Amino acid sequence: MARLRNKNRKVFSKPSLKKKAAPTVDHVTGDKIPKSFVFSRGKMPGSLRQLQMDLRKLMLPFTALNLKEKKRNNLRDFLNVAGPMGVTHFLMLSKTDAAPYLKVARTPQGPTVTFKINQYSLASDITQSQLRPRCPPDLYKNPPLIVLSGFGSGEQHLKLTTIMFQNMFPAIDINTVKLSSCQRIVLLNYNKDTKLIDFRHYSIRLQPVGVSRRIRKFVQNHQVPDLRSLQDVSDFITKAGYGSESEGDEEAATVTLPCDLGRVNRATSKSAVKLQEIGPRMTLQLLKVEEGLCSGTIIFSEYGTANDKKTPGKENQKNQGDEENEDDDGDDDDEQEDDDEASE
Amino acid sequence: MVEETQVRDFGNRMNKRKSGHKKGGNKARKKQKQFPGMGERVKIDPRVKKFLRKKARDYNSDDEDTEEGLAKGVEDDNLLPEYVIAEDVGGEEAEELGNEEDSDEEGEGTLPGITKLGEGSRAFRNAFKSVIKKGASEDPLGPVLSGHKKLVAEKLAEEEVERKAKGDAKKEKKLVAEKGHVKPANFLDTHERFLISVATKGVVKLFNAVNKAQVAQKGLNPLRSKDAKVINKRKKDAFYGELRRAPSASSTVKVNTSEGDAEGGTPSWAPLRDNYMLTNPKMKDWDKKLDSGVEDDIGGMSDDSSSDED
Repeated sequence: MARLRNKNRKVFSKPSLKKKAAPTVDHVTGDKIPKSFVFSRGKMPGSLRQLQMDLRKLMLPFTALNLKEKKRNNLRDFLNVAGPMGVTHFLMLSKTDAAPYLKVARTPQGPTVTFKINQYSLASDITQSQLRPRCPPDLYKNPPLIVLSGFGSGEQHLKLTTIMFQNMFPAIDINTVKLSSCQRIVLLNYNKDTKLIDFRHYSIRLQPVGVSRRIRKFVQNHQVPDLRSLQDVSDFITKAGYGSESEGDEEAATVTLPCDLGRVNRATSKSAVKLQEIGPRMTLQLLKVEEGLCSGTIIFSEYGTANDKKTPGKENQKNQGDEENEDDDGDDDDEQEDDDEASE
Repeated sequence: MVEETQVRDFGNRMNKRKSGHKKGGNKARKKQKQFPGMGERVKIDPRVKKFLRKKARDYNSDDEDTEEGLAKGVEDDNLLPEYVIAEDVGGEEAEELGNEEDSDEEGEGTLPGITKLGEGSRAFRNAFKSVIKKGASEDPLGPVLSGHKKLVAEKLAEEEVERKAKGDAKKEKKLVAEKGHVKPANFLDTHERFLISVATKGVVKLFNAVNKAQVAQKGLNPLRSKDAKVINKRKKDAFYGELRRAPSASSTVKVNTSEGDAEGGTPSWAPLRDNYMLTNPKMKDWDKKLDSGVEDDIGGMSDDSSSDED
């Protein structure tokens, strides 16, 4: 007897994986999507290597996560690769005895901004210090938002820094952006008194306002609650729970979403924005702005006397050791007024 | 068997010769024979004796032995039965050692030493046994001579000092490497809270702007030209209004609208616009007159990148 074939049987076919070419141009805004390389110059101790990895994750998805660098690679090699791949920014970490340094540069001939990292904490340190660390699976699929605060609109070097950071991340079109894709935020806060820039990286979470904790958890997790001690379902819903201490802050942070996000946040009702820190935490000090890529004239320098001492020959050298040493020499001298330098 | 008989004959002849030589040997033999606790003695066929003797000779064939190998015929003769049958290990060792001592003594030819053989070997046997039993001692230096002990102690002290110096150097190196690395506190201190609030404000502003723009836009279809104009107008106003509401004080949020020209009617999909990928101002009039050597390439936008910065 012939086997009866089920004609409605669906044939399972593996969806063919097409490799999508990485977008170089944002199809909505038409601008070029900025891409970055994060690498280190010279041998780095373990924790700085982790910091480099954290920075790479931060710049995802438009960066090379598994960038391999060899000892003999110098800046020129990276420049040569950057051109065809459409890489626009370099983030370079380096270390001397004084401190680790971070250089942000625009390829191919753009300005270079040098920061001294006064303090840093790794992403793993931060998650360890938290009670409930949070990492949703697609956190790094979309680029982060960036918020710059305290820079003011005055001095030129600060302006240049803000522009550089703004251009490092792709632009957002408010008309078409999906709020579900904005999941991370990078904050750069400038403190005028200490001249330090705080660098923070947060993950965004939306929580509905006015819903008791139990109901919210129930809807989110779909875990059946324990109703043993209750007489009636209405007890479960109306039971007054303890308010969390951050509810006061939520007042200021409520938004109305244009559409539903996830299970819990509905379009018309209010939701609160909650941030939780992920990723590295750095305290940066702006040291130097150069016109070229790690070379060229110095537009701004924190330590003016070192600037005067330099000869043009030395400036064109890509030798970082020299520059760092001179910065250290500048430490001994008194700090000069920044305004003079900025106005040059 | 034939071999054996021949060996036996030879051995016999040797035996006779030897027995004539050594008188002390006989006495030693007697002493050893009467020595208690050496295991059972079994009378063995002399043929077997010879065979075993030969075996023993091969077994004991060191340099010292070969010299006196033949001369030791008598001793071997004595030893062999005990060597093979004796169960007491100590006895066996004693025999061998006794054998060596015996031979040494014989070289000198002193008679009185031989009589003390039994006790001497027993003492040695006991000493050896106790050493073996002790096994490895706890003292790291081991059972060494006192002079050597001093040297070893000095060396150890030196090594300690070296290790300490190295350890300090390593610690310093580590400190320098970790400079700047701070472990964050478990709680949120005020500064952190302030930063979070700043970031939250930025996010809230952005979300509100998005909300306004998108909700207003919901009703309109972006492809219809009439609506498109309205959309554009709203876009511009809303965007600038929102951002102006944050005065120069605190924050700027990075938001770009997709508006290209000031004139209305720019399509919202990028490729439809006139300046798609032609942000280089030189390229704007590409169809009018060919400029020299301007690349129209996705990757080759290096020129306009620097112009964008300004």
